[in-house]
Amino acid sequence: MPTMQNQRSAPVFLNLFRIHFPVGAVTSIAHRLSGLLLFLSFPLLVYWLDLSLRDPASYANAVEWLHCGWVRLASVFIAWSLIHHLLAGLRFLLIDLGVGVERTTARRSAWTVNGLALLLVLGYIGWIV
Amino acid sequence: MSRHTYALRAWLIQRFSAVYLAGFLAYLVIHFLIQGSHGYAEWRAWLSHPAMGIAGAGFVLALMLHGWVGVRDIILDYIPALGMRLLLLTLSGALLAASGFWALRLLLLAAG
Repeated sequence: MPTMQNQRSAPVFLNLFRIHFPVGAVTSIAHRLSGLLLFLSFPLLVYWLDLSLRDPASYANAVEWLHCGWVRLASVFIAWSLIHHLLAGLRFLLIDLGVGVERTTARRSAWTVNGLALLLVLGYIGWIV
Repeated sequence: MSRHTYALRAWLIQRFSAVYLAGFLAYLVIHFLIQGSHGYAEWRAWLSHPAMGIAGAGFVLALMLHGWVGVRDIILDYIPALGMRLLLLTLSGALLAASGFWALRLLLLAAG
């Protein structure tokens, strides 16, 4: 028979939408997710580079692709991944060097990274639309 | 080599490659902000410059190392089943190596 205290301290379910993550965990998991997206987009980017270097007609074709709706949508995700991964990566590098390790500073920098990445992506969307 | 040395080496590779990737990326952003759009001849000339060949090859190699350490960490953390683990490690390694060498070949062809 569990006591009241046990019941209160043990989580009943692990619903990811109900668990409240600390902001640093969000930055960290988004760092992984963005890295994975960049990894997956690497072959596509190399393919695009190949097309763009073949000859003038193929180059024109490759540039034309950049204006296509699906490619622009995908580029928003790639842009977010790049920006978030870069900013969060710089934050981790600084923390490795002992800069901003303190709890409140780390929390503030995590909020800054998450927010700034989204803000810059909004800027990117405004620029391509 | 012990597991600890290996982990330390991966940790160091990840950080040094990150710094190079960030620096090269900053150069790319500045270049495109200044240059705007390219014509084919300009684009090719930019990519076939020897300095670009060396710096670009460095970027691709750094990307391969960085991507491998990162994806390997993700697979080892989230995929506990050994068979699936090996399959995903093989596939992602092959994808990374093929894309990387393809990019290096493009830089070499552009320079030649």
